Amino acid sequence: MDDRLRETLSAMMDDEADELSVRRLLSHHDQAHVRDQWQRWQQVRDLMHSGHTPAEGVDVSASVRAALDGRSGVTPYRASARGATPVTRWRWPAVAMVAVALVVGFGAGAGWDSREGPAASVAPEVAAQSLPDETAATAPVSEVTLQGLDEEQWEQMSQYLLEHAQHNSVGAGRGAVGYARVVSAGNGY
Amino acid sequence: MNRLSSRLKMGGFPALLLALLAAVVSGPVVADADESEAHQWLERLAPALNMTSYRGVFVYARGSQVHSMQIAHRYRDGVVEERLVLQDGGNGEIVRRGVNVVCVLPDRGRVRLDQVIPSGPFAEAFTSQLMPVNRWYNAEMVGEDRVAGYQAVEIALRSRDEYRYSHRLWLERSTGLLVKSHVRAASGDVMEQFQFTSLEITDNIPDEEFEIRTEGREISRNLSEEEGVAKASVVPRTSGWELGWRPEGFAPAAAPRAGRGQAVAFSDGLAAFSVFVEPAGRLKMPRGVSRIGATTVYMHELESSGRKFLVTVVGEVPPETARKVAESVRIQDSLALEGSGS
Repeated sequence: MDDRLRETLSAMMDDEADELSVRRLLSHHDQAHVRDQWQRWQQVRDLMHSGHTPAEGVDVSASVRAALDGRSGVTPYRASARGATPVTRWRWPAVAMVAVALVVGFGAGAGWDSREGPAASVAPEVAAQSLPDETAATAPVSEVTLQGLDEEQWEQMSQYLLEHAQHNSVGAGRGAVGYARVVSAGNGY
Repeated sequence: MNRLSSRLKMGGFPALLLALLAAVVSGPVVADADESEAHQWLERLAPALNMTSYRGVFVYARGSQVHSMQIAHRYRDGVVEERLVLQDGGNGEIVRRGVNVVCVLPDRGRVRLDQVIPSGPFAEAFTSQLMPVNRWYNAEMVGEDRVAGYQAVEIALRSRDEYRYSHRLWLERSTGLLVKSHVRAASGDVMEQFQFTSLEITDNIPDEEFEIRTEGREISRNLSEEEGVAKASVVPRTSGWELGWRPEGFAPAAAPRAGRGQAVAFSDGLAAFSVFVEPAGRLKMPRGVSRIGATTVYMHELESSGRKFLVTVVGEVPPETARKVAESVRIQDSLALEGSGS
């Protein structure tokens, strides 16, 4: 899966994906991979926002596919027309996001070549590139979207969070020490 | 200002004016008395957390994430007994008797648990005793409130500079037990909160409430031996690197040697941040800031004698503080870091 697809997934999580990108994503040759990525991010997001992902075990893919097909009849996109066609922005309500997760797994959509050249734009996390040193004093702090992290990055980040929590509790005294330590044991280090 | 003036127009004008006048006239005297009263309460905070016996349910929220836990806490013959039961997510509980801790992990996997650490309020309570908090925070009695059925006093700890957040603590009137707390941004937004939703302060908690009832994988820990390690490492272990800057008042705090070696924690008595420095390995981390409630994660990359290092600052501090700390890290001996980094 290339950066552009990743970016699309990320945009979908942020409710900002356009239809064109979503279709490209849906036609990616390795749907299992796309679905895994989506689910991982959903889980991360879930953890961060303590929401729930009802995606597991629910099958609404057929109806969503129908919705997609219906829409495509109205606005037939073509690969060659890419760039020239004004891209309509799709709003992704929560239900649709769940649905898309399933559709992604389903392998709906066809005819889009996902293996295009190098990604035109960089993934969100790369966009949050460090600030040049000379402007550091005044430049605004760049935001890293947690949704943009892949699994390994997320793991690394949560390990830092965990260790920090431990420092916090140990510096503090008895109260939270036990829990923090135990939690660390649960994390295998 | 606009909101205030519209409030004035809307009514209550004479009362507000009077109140303002009164505040101006008696300002300094009231403030002093206020501050010392606030500090008296703060001094009760730490002992009260350990030596009060109570049971209840509290919620802990940061960002949009909320967890609730049931707790029973008993102090008898100098021994603290405690049982915490996770109320959402997977099943799990933590039981402590003195220095012995047994934890039954949720069966839903390991990531669940790290969301559950009550890092905020408890930590605050204890460190406030060790540090001169009033130098970095302006303590003030806000008034009376009622939390989980108990009368409580509300104390505001306003940050004196922009490098830290402000805090607000609610202490139960008769015992000084922390029953609610907020971490607030300068704007007044609440970024992290802890609060009892039900509480019973009583010395009469039977033994069986401290028994493990969840079935599952048990992990036992003895805190005492590890505490020895923690004490020994009060001196910061900044082997191979140093901080060029940190906000005034943040001192190195005791830290466990749990992780991979290069982390150091700093605390000003209320807030804390940790600095992690390690060689940038195979894993490419993004650069920039992330926030979860009051917790900031700032990641920064640094190059020294041809090697790249990942500097990460995690803490309950504003993003700008985390950034300045991260960017002030200097590598002194990249080999020392390489050696112990993995």
